[in-house]
Formats: sequence, C-alpha cells, structure tokens
Amino acid sequence: MSLGELAAAAGLPARTVRFYIARGLVAGPAKSGRGAVYTAAHLARLEWIKELQSQGRTLAEIGAIGGGQSPEVVPEPTAWWQHAVADDVVVWVRAGAAPWRTRQIRKWIDQLARQLAQANDEPGKEQDP
Amino acid sequence: MFAPVAAPTGLPIRLAMQRLWLTGEVLPAGARLTVEHVFQSDEDHPLEVIYPFPLPRDAALRRFRIVAGSCETHSDLIETAEAVKAYELAIEQGSLSALARQYGDGLVNLTVGNIRPREMVTVHVELLAGVELRDDGFRFRFPFTLAPSYHSQMRAVTAGGGVELELPAGFGDLILPPFLEDASSLHQVGFALSVRHGAALGEIGSPSHAIRVAPGPAGLTRVMLAPEKDVPDRDFVLDVRFSEDTPQVLSGPSGDGKCAFAIVVPSSRFGSRTEQARRVAILLDRSGSMSGEPIAQARKAVEACLAALSEQDEFLLVAFDDRVETAHAQPVPATREHREAARAFLQGIGARGGTELASAVEQAARALGAGDIFLITDGQVFGTETILAEARSVGARLSCLGVGSASQDRFLSLLARETGGVSRFVTPRERVDLAAIDLFAALGRPLASGLRAAHVEPAPPPVVFAGTPVLLFGELEADSAGHIDLAWDGGSMSLTVPSGAPETGETVRLLRGSRLITDWESRHANADAPSPLEKRQQKRVAARLLQLSRTYGLASREMSLVAVVKREGDRSGELPETRVVPVGVPQDTEISMEAFLVSGSLFSVDPELALGKTRGRDAAAVALARFDAQPPATESAACCADLIDLASMLEPDGGMPGDSPEARAARTVAAVLAFVAGGHTLRSGAFRRHLARLVEFLKPLSTAPETDARLIATALDAAETGHAPDGPWLSLACDPGTRWKQLGRPWE
Repeated sequence: MSLGELAAAAGLPARTVRFYIARGLVAGPAKSGRGAVYTAAHLARLEWIKELQSQGRTLAEIGAIGGGQSPEVVPEPTAWWQHAVADDVVVWVRAGAAPWRTRQIRKWIDQLARQLAQANDEPGKEQDP
Repeated sequence: MFAPVAAPTGLPIRLAMQRLWLTGEVLPAGARLTVEHVFQSDEDHPLEVIYPFPLPRDAALRRFRIVAGSCETHSDLIETAEAVKAYELAIEQGSLSALARQYGDGLVNLTVGNIRPREMVTVHVELLAGVELRDDGFRFRFPFTLAPSYHSQMRAVTAGGGVELELPAGFGDLILPPFLEDASSLHQVGFALSVRHGAALGEIGSPSHAIRVAPGPAGLTRVMLAPEKDVPDRDFVLDVRFSEDTPQVLSGPSGDGKCAFAIVVPSSRFGSRTEQARRVAILLDRSGSMSGEPIAQARKAVEACLAALSEQDEFLLVAFDDRVETAHAQPVPATREHREAARAFLQGIGARGGTELASAVEQAARALGAGDIFLITDGQVFGTETILAEARSVGARLSCLGVGSASQDRFLSLLARETGGVSRFVTPRERVDLAAIDLFAALGRPLASGLRAAHVEPAPPPVVFAGTPVLLFGELEADSAGHIDLAWDGGSMSLTVPSGAPETGETVRLLRGSRLITDWESRHANADAPSPLEKRQQKRVAARLLQLSRTYGLASREMSLVAVVKREGDRSGELPETRVVPVGVPQDTEISMEAFLVSGSLFSVDPELALGKTRGRDAAAVALARFDAQPPATESAACCADLIDLASMLEPDGGMPGDSPEARAARTVAAVLAFVAGGHTLRSGAFRRHLARLVEFLKPLSTAPETDARLIATALDAAETGHAPDGPWLSLACDPGTRWKQLGRPWE
C-alpha cells in the first residue's frame, strides 16, 4: 500500500507516519523511491505504537523498547525522581509508583527535609541521641 | 551563505531552517507583519521541515508566499481538511508544498515538504497581531520561541541538552519543537519594523533586545535589531510611549463601501475612580517554571500590594502549583494581624510543581464571591481553552500579570479580557514587582462600567480600569456622519472618525478580523470525548470560525493556508525525511523541567542529566530543596533597599510603623517625600495607591505644633505637585529611629 493508504488504515495523519519513520520508530518503505510500498508489518507497528501511547508511553520510550529499527537505540531506561532535601542530601525514588505510595514517600521526604532544615538551624541538636 | 557551527564543539551543524526575520508595521491598535523563514538543506535526500510556533496575542495568519529559485507561489486559504489533502497530494507527487495550520493554544505548524538537497526555500508569512495597550502607549510582543508549558497528561523527555514534550491525543497531530538549552547554534532571528503613530512620540525601547531607532517618513519610526542577528530564546518586546494620552483613531475605506475604524480611548477620559472598599483575591503561581527571580519578585510584589489595602478592604491570598493553598479560608479584612499572617504564608512560598491554574481560579472565585482576582503567573500551560472555559463559567473578573520571556501573552490577554479584567506581560528582567503594584492599584475600583456604542464589534469591555485604555473596532457606512457615540453608566463621549487612507482601512479591518477569530478560537473546547453539549458548542464555534475566516480572508483552526510549487524534475513517490526545527529554552527559564519532574512525567534518556550534571536538573534540585526551607527573612526596617520595601511597610491605617506617634508621623512624612522623589504622585506612578494612603494618614495630623505641621504640609504639597525637596527620604522613612528633628527644615 502507499503511505496515504497506510496512514488511513492506521487512522493517523500521513505527516505523523513520516515523522515516526524519520525518528526510527517505523521502518521506511519496503521499496523506496517511485512506487514505495508499505506492508501489513508497517501497519502492525503503527497499531503497536498507538497502543503504547495510550498506555502513557512517550515516543522516546517506545523507540527505546522497540529496538532494532532505530539508529538512536539507547538502553532501556528507568525513570527516577530526584529529591534534593538539603544542599548535601539527595533522595532518589523510582518513578511510576502507585499514587498512594507516591504520597506516602512524598510525606516522608517532606518530613526528612524539615528535620534536616531544623538540624541546620540548631547545630548543637544533632548531637543529641 | 549559511555555515552554522555548534558553539561547544566548533563542528558544523545541520539546520533545517537557517533564518527567521520579522518585518512589518506596528500601529497603536495592532501590527501587520511579515515573517521570512529561510530553509536550506545540505542533506542528500529531500526534507520535510516542520516549524512549530505560537501566535502573538490577537493574531491570525493571512497568507504566505513561497519562493524556490525562480518559482514563486502564493498560498490559498481553504478548509483545513482540504488543505491537508492538497499538501499530501503534492508531497506524493514530489512537488514542493507548504502548509500553515493552526491548532489549539494558538500554536501553528508551518510544514514545508520536499525541499531538495541544497535547495533554498523561503516562506514569507503575513500575519496580523494585537498589542498590549496602556494609557500612554503600547507594548508589542513577538515570540521567537515557545514556552515549554505544563499539562497534567503531558510527557516530557529530556535528551541531548534539551527537552521534548508530548501532548495527549486531544491535541491532534500538533508537533512541538525540541527545546534546546543552548540556542546559540540554532537559526538566526532578527527584525526591522516600522512604528506608525499619530500622537507625538515620547520614547521607544525594548527590554528584550538591543535596538536601533531611526526616524522614517512622516508618522513612521524605524526600529531594527542592533546586532547583526540574535538567537531564538525569547520574545521580542517593544515599548512605545507617547508624550500625551489623547484618543487615537485609525480609519479608512475597507473596500466594501464601508469605513473601518479602530479607536483607542485612554482610561483617563472616563473620569476618576470612586473610593469604595475593595475585595481582591491574589493568586500567586508557584509552579516550577516561576522559579528563581520571578517568584522572588512576585513574593515581594504581593507584600507591597497588600500594603496598598486599607482596613476596609478584604483580601484572599492563594498560592498554587498542582496544589492550591490559601493563607485564609475566606477573604479577610486587611488588618495588621491578617497581613502578618499573609506575610508569614508568603515566606513559605517557593517554586515547585506543575501549573493547575483552573482549580486555583475556581477555588479563589468560590471563596471570593464578588470582587477581582489578581493573578501573577508565567501562564505556561497547555490546554488553555479548557482553562478559559472554566474561568468564564465561574464568573469572576480576572486581571493577569504575566511574567516570562516566552509568550503566553496570547493566553493571559484572553483570560483577562474574557472575564472582564486587564492584563500586562513583563519579562523577568524587568521589575515584576513594580508592574504588579501598578496593575493592582487599578483593580477593585473600575472607572466606568456599562460601556456601549453602535457600529462596534467586538463589544466594548464591561468595565474600564485606570491605566488601561479601551480599544474599539468597528465599521461605519461610508455615507454616515463619521462619528461614534460611546456611552457608559454616568457619562458619554463622541469620537470623530475621519475617512482616512485605504491602506489604514484595510489594516484595521484585518486587525478586527484577527481579534474576532482569536476570541472564537478561545471558545473551542478541546475535549477528548466531548459531551453532546460540548459537541454542539464545537460545531457552533467551527461554523463561526469558518464564516470569519471567509469574511476576513484569515486562517483559523477551520481554514488553513496551503501552496504547491511544481518544479521541473519533480519525482513522485519519494519519501521526504521529516525534521522538526528546534527552539531555545526561553531565557531565564532555567528550570523548565522541574514542573515535569514533580508532576511525575519526567523521563530521562540522558545519563548526563540523570546524574544531575546539567543546568536544568541542578536547578530543579535546588528548587526542590527549597520545598520546605524558609527563604531569607524579610528585610529589617533599617535596610530598606528601595521603594517596594518601603511600600510593604505601610500599616493598615496608611501610616508608617513606629514606637511612638511622633516616630510614625515623621517616618510617614519621609515616606511621602521618598515616593514623590521617585517620580510617583497621587495620580500617576505604580505607588499612587500607597501615596494616597500615606496622605490620608497625614491629613488629620496637620494640627500638630508649628514645625511638625510645616513638615506635614511640605509632604502633602509634594504629593500634590510631584516635586519633593532633596533629602535622604528613603533611608529616613525606613529608619525606626527617625523623629521630627532628623527631617530638618526641608522647606528652607
């Protein structure tokens, strides 16, 4: 099928399909130049990208997990949140936790930041048991 | 011609767009502009280049001209679906094609496809834009970059010294640019504009760029970028001040037997304000993107705004990011205790999180009831149409002070106008605090309401605030009497509309169309799954936009601009490679990623960034560390840096603080003289409200013993005339030890 037909079948604008090809998310046409041909594999790939996007994945993530087709393949990443609770203390928390868990962690980090700030204001106190 | 290199490495870099140059004419009612985009590919295959950009305030695209070698074509304005089809067909056939398509939030994708290797393609886009009006002039703002804004469902990806944003499905196939922290190796930008003015010019300046100003032919002044070129990391901001605040009328035949007009009426023509108690909610945006100087300045400004309130006034202080916090649950009188509580609340405010503007507005409006909402924000949000719909539905009057170097001016001007308020937009390198106080002084007490006039569309604003003029667009029958009668509750005026020149008439007609399209664009619901009611609304808005686009020949979301250039040797079926033109992260927006980080949507594929080596993450860490940390304590009375510190010291009764009546009176006299020496009077200057309150405090004291009474009389006289004797008034006003004798005998 042509690019226009592929885009229509996938329910995407043709410009978006070209954008994905340029980003290495989808392979180029099976036959290039005049009479470029796209196959069912291209369509399946586009459906897969749409599915991952609906799960909240970004194009960069999809490119990373997709592997093999992108010239810019990077190792599968893990997202972390970095909370600098004081000038000299950083707490790392893995992203993607359940909301209740995120709230819980956030509360503890707030508490830690407050205690560290207090300790800073009253330098003698941190010696106390 | 172009050989850009990457600053850090010195290696040549491949740019899809090399140059963006702004020309055109700026008038007191708007601007008619042409933006030249130069694309040249040094790659070995054909390219499709996408340049995403935001529209300025009240702007619409009119047409474009595309030039490739000896071929030149003008765009057609057709329904968007048809325009996309025409573009795709041309791409399929191997022709050069360009499409300018508008999306929500006033964002545009200019897509130019099938640029051949080493071919130079130039696209000249013509557009209309509004200006921010003030009684004594106007501010023109043009975006050279885009603000990396916030949306709760957005995903941010950091990579290669920049950030990429992806919006949810409701935003359609809009493509946003990659934002690069270092804009020095991106395309060149610049401008050469003419300013047309009827009134005598006071001054022209720019807080954003170095400019050269030269007199042009009659009534024109030329404004050019002083250096040879600049980088796309901030808006161009131009201030034009007139030496008098008289009404300005632009008019001329508009081609259909009618006379189009635009009239700017300064607020001073609507009389003086009534001294009634005010009820104001102050909303402070504490989102991550406000971090650094903007939040520090905004905090200071809010303190000074509170000091301008009297005990009869009521206020509510709200800070918001992705959560909303208030100093008090309900509006409270501006007593000493409540202001102290508000000050303590402000001290705990650091920048963090995303920008959930709609819920902050909704909560403030619910608690406030009748009154004015004063919003200080950078406005860096996507999905602005939804926020506008919610702001309209709560029925509160919003006035906005925007802070930022990249334009959210369009959104904030709409938010204010659609709710009956006024707006200003300042760059972080200007005095945000002074702008806040100036705007705040006007709120709560409109000068006039119930404005009405025949032949005017869009309708006049519901109220007039001091400092902000009224802009009226309309059309008269060519044979009508040539004047407009403007009436309001308790007053009226008649304005003469001269027949004018045809080119002015055409420009004014287009500016009016552009303003109407912007108003209707803002009513377009962006819902993913619209309800039947929202569907009806979408249909209604789409039909109106189609009609406006056809009437005025201007693009909108419903109608786009497309052009096809057929060249010799075009080969069908070749797939162009898509490139998106990057822009710079806006200047002074160092921690733009912080909002995404806290909202949980940051995804890093850049190990450098994950290790905290880049500026963005470092700054984010600092901002997070400030989450619970106390900012520096407020200045002590003796180290008053400038007038804004002085303004925030006013007591609820309008006088200065002090441990005795003498200390209070003497310091109040010194404070009046300090404000007057700084160029402020009872009628003009950002601190006019503060000065009025100081004067109210002093007036009953004028029966004091003779010497003291003379000092008080000197201060009252100075406030009236705007002339203060020389003296160290600021330090005397701030010094708790000041008594009558320290003031000397300044009348001598």
